[in-house]
Amino acid sequence: MTTEETLLEQSQARGTRQMPDRTESVAVRVRGLVKRYADGTEANRGIDLDVRRGELISILGPNGAGKTTFLRQISTELRPSGGSIEIFGRNAVAEPQRVKQMMGITPQEAGVFESLTVREHFELFARLKNLSKVEARAATHEVISALGLVAETGKRVGSLSGGQRRRILIGLALLGQPPLLVLDEPTTGLDPSSRLAVWGVIRRAVTDGATVILSTHYMEEAERLSDRIGIIAQGRLIAFGTLDELLGRLERSYRLSYRDSLDPFGKLCVHYFANFNETRAHVADARLSEYSIARASLEDVYFTLTGEHFAGEETENA
Amino acid sequence: MRRVTDIICVFRIQLMSMRAEAGPFFLAALVFPAAMYLFANAVGGVEAAQNQSRLRFLAGSIVFSLSLTSISWLGYLQLENRFTGRLKLFATLPLAPSSYILGFLGFAFVQAALGTTVLLLIGRVLGVGMRPSIPALTLVVMLTVLCLCGFGVIIASRARSFTEGSLLTDALGAGLVFLAPVYYTPETMPHNLRIVSQLLPTAFAARAVRTTLMGSHQIGSDALALGVMAVATLALAFKMTKWRKD
Repeated sequence: MTTEETLLEQSQARGTRQMPDRTESVAVRVRGLVKRYADGTEANRGIDLDVRRGELISILGPNGAGKTTFLRQISTELRPSGGSIEIFGRNAVAEPQRVKQMMGITPQEAGVFESLTVREHFELFARLKNLSKVEARAATHEVISALGLVAETGKRVGSLSGGQRRRILIGLALLGQPPLLVLDEPTTGLDPSSRLAVWGVIRRAVTDGATVILSTHYMEEAERLSDRIGIIAQGRLIAFGTLDELLGRLERSYRLSYRDSLDPFGKLCVHYFANFNETRAHVADARLSEYSIARASLEDVYFTLTGEHFAGEETENA
Repeated sequence: MRRVTDIICVFRIQLMSMRAEAGPFFLAALVFPAAMYLFANAVGGVEAAQNQSRLRFLAGSIVFSLSLTSISWLGYLQLENRFTGRLKLFATLPLAPSSYILGFLGFAFVQAALGTTVLLLIGRVLGVGMRPSIPALTLVVMLTVLCLCGFGVIIASRARSFTEGSLLTDALGAGLVFLAPVYYTPETMPHNLRIVSQLLPTAFAARAVRTTLMGSHQIGSDALALGVMAVATLALAFKMTKWRKD
């Protein structure tokens, strides 16, 4: 029996939640998802996506690209204008309450109850996730330890820092070990060490069998955590695959960067080349003395596909 | 069973959240209505010396307290939950919106019981002659709370901003008391307002509370009117509270 099956078994034994159909290998199936707001804005324009059970996918995209709208529809917060969403074989549009029993959700902007202590917050919300008192206490202890909030257990949430509050929101999603986690920019606003702690918690959830969909602006986060990465731009899923698959989409995968010596502000210039020799040849032609050559990264894929640029940078494909 | 647990948890969250705001709660629910009772007595002149008038003032203050806690205060808490993003936490859970509202109603009943008891004690200390019928009074208070909470929930779910919602709940919480014949008789009101004002829920509530304070159980028609209004406002409130947006 796999870890995932063991977890599902335990949860089912508790009789507490709607567990997914084990024969279903796809955790989330999205087809032709369209979201049109009342003002006519089309935030999602026909997104198709399959998320396999037990994998972690990251959704990247510029601000306003439709990432949050996409996640809000998956988490049943927004009703789609068209298309379908299935969570473990269940229709998320028709049965929002049922599918939410299988999800842990961290919205991008959610508040906390400042007068409650950290422990009270977790225990009460664990009870709302249908855990028994004993299970709620155990889950609270587990999440508090995992998120490094042990010293804050008895403190009022109002006295915590922004990063600690964000960790509480992530912890609320993790309570009860739901089989699907939907995390909208979970580490935004966290300092580097907190971010590492959260990454560890998310990866552990995947190891324990959870499927995770998260949106992020951090390339490093997507690279380090994800099994597959999706890029949304202008409401469309323009790329989806493993990091290697995405890098393979670049025809020019060598990146040459240098500071323009003629520019008074030393503007950063970036050029892409098909191979190393071409890159070296350009360095020689341009008589560059200070430069850097690197294999293309997810960041390069992202900027190439979305048509965006690094701040203050001039990009050119050779 | 699951539903009961959900309702109790929402109730406990709100109750625990109030720990830091107990002072303002007392100000809103007790001090203001009690002061209004004393004010009405002071300006009532000769009329205020009669026990009937003092009973009306006390009943009016109880209704005022219920209105402030049910519409203004609970409306404010719901607006706070909505505009600070706390409502999203509930929306992420497999929790029925109706359980969320029912948890709030439980919280409102506790507030109402506290406020009404203290005002009855104040009335007793100030020498108001009364023989309250507790079961009938409890029924009236519950129906009034249900009806007025419905208004609070409707405003909180529809307001476009925290400020707008807050102003509306405050205006309605006080307005429903002062536009109805709560502290004064209907005859003293402008003719055109008289009929409309007597149809307000606070008018039925004040009359029913006064009747129960005199020891009578003759609250049938007022309780029925309050019940009908409670069903109507709560039905609308339940319909308007949705986790999923279009």
